[in-house]
Amino acid sequence: MNRRGMIAALAAALALGLVPKRSRAASKKLRPPGALPPGAFEQACIGCYRCAEVCPTTCIEFPTGLSLDAATPFIDTAQKACVLCMKCTQVCPTDALQKLSDDREEVFRSVRLGRPVLERSRCLPWTGQGVCRLCFLVCPYPNRAVEVVGPQLAPLFHADACVGCGLCEEACPDGASAITIEPLGTPVPAARKP
Amino acid sequence: MAESTAQSVRPRRALQPLDITLRHGKRYQRARVAFLTFSVSLTFVLPLWHLRAAVMDGAGPPLTSPAVGLARLLPAPPAWWGAPTSLRLWAVELIDPALALGVGLTRGFSFSWLWAALPGLLLVATLGRFFCGWACPYLPILAASNAARWFLGRFGVPTADLKVPRRTAFVVLVGALFATAFTGAQVVPLLYPPALLGRAGFGFVFFGALSAGLALVVGAFVFDTFVSRAGFCRALCPGGAAFSVVGALSPLRVVREVPKCTDCTVCDVVCNLGQRPMTDKLDGGCERCGKCIASCPTQALSLRLAKPSALRGALEKP
Repeated sequence: MNRRGMIAALAAALALGLVPKRSRAASKKLRPPGALPPGAFEQACIGCYRCAEVCPTTCIEFPTGLSLDAATPFIDTAQKACVLCMKCTQVCPTDALQKLSDDREEVFRSVRLGRPVLERSRCLPWTGQGVCRLCFLVCPYPNRAVEVVGPQLAPLFHADACVGCGLCEEACPDGASAITIEPLGTPVPAARKP
Repeated sequence: MAESTAQSVRPRRALQPLDITLRHGKRYQRARVAFLTFSVSLTFVLPLWHLRAAVMDGAGPPLTSPAVGLARLLPAPPAWWGAPTSLRLWAVELIDPALALGVGLTRGFSFSWLWAALPGLLLVATLGRFFCGWACPYLPILAASNAARWFLGRFGVPTADLKVPRRTAFVVLVGALFATAFTGAQVVPLLYPPALLGRAGFGFVFFGALSAGLALVVGAFVFDTFVSRAGFCRALCPGGAAFSVVGALSPLRVVREVPKCTDCTVCDVVCNLGQRPMTDKLDGGCERCGKCIASCPTQALSLRLAKPSALRGALEKP
């Protein structure tokens, strides 16, 4: 290496070391389970596609457009929900997805993909159109994340106990589509007691 | 009369790499092409293999999709996952050192990615940019571009060969790393063809979707064909720039035996990356593809451990 190249490379490395590291790319999308908090996740993910590759339901997708987050995975629960198998967390080579076991209670403690929002004016039991409770039947944590109340068995969601897998959103009948999983926009809560 | 004037006015076609036959070192070329075929096919075969696994689980695209039809013909996959920027071969995790740079910059030092990047880093430190010549999935596209240049030259269509300075690639790399630091998103995977093609391969096989990132690959092909021969690899690719810095002092390199050399310039013409073996101007930009060795009519070039004195020319601008 000649002297000028050496000096330029050292100067570039020094400048890169000193420049402040920002995390402005935090995206309002559901990230796969075990993801670092928004901002940190975008910094750590190299877009290698391995989480999407192992996903048994192919619910993890990558954006197809031109954008700064084109190389980061997301889950569109309206299309396909996460089944909480935690395989994607095991394969991430840069630990943008932190390793988690598929133990039911550990998943309950550490995974928060998003927050469930119920639009009661579209929900069949809440509008008196009959008993549905599909969300309750598919929920991996029934009576904790969602319970059914009243004679019509209307769902009542508890956002703090919901992992946000979106199985309820996927199961909600097409005519109703009353449930959406909304991004948290806040860091994944630390481990908490059930 | 007018015809002959026109002929004398027409500029002589520049010598193209396809004009030159490969005479020696064919075993090296065969090994390279075999390895390249293997590594490039992983980019498209691994998604198909794992699509098969997803289909067996009852997920993925409908059974009528052509990708699923193809996937079902394959045998059960070996324990390989990923490709091409991150691979798991049985129990060994590998990531592309060019992408590890950005993660190291934003997330700091961590053993988890260091172990995964280490095999690649050691290979690059020993063999320079050899990933570019032996494993990059853009290489078939570059070969197509070179063939297109050859055909266009045959039919008299002019193609420019702008010599974009090599340091442009360092500017792109450092600029991408600065953008990574400022925006907080990894920018190198958005510009680096192996990452773009890897995601495009998976996206196409899994979801039938064409990603907009492919536009950059198409742009690189057009640039290489009409503006500058292998110009993207030589002077724009951030990954190539990273490898040529890390591998600038690599000990295994192309060496010329001066008494055998007849100064015929064939090796200089055949090189995609603007290296000039005939005058010993070989630096970190050499991808160890061995085409200069194979083209040399007097076998004056060979790949060998170079003495430290030969390292002095590393990273010099052409």
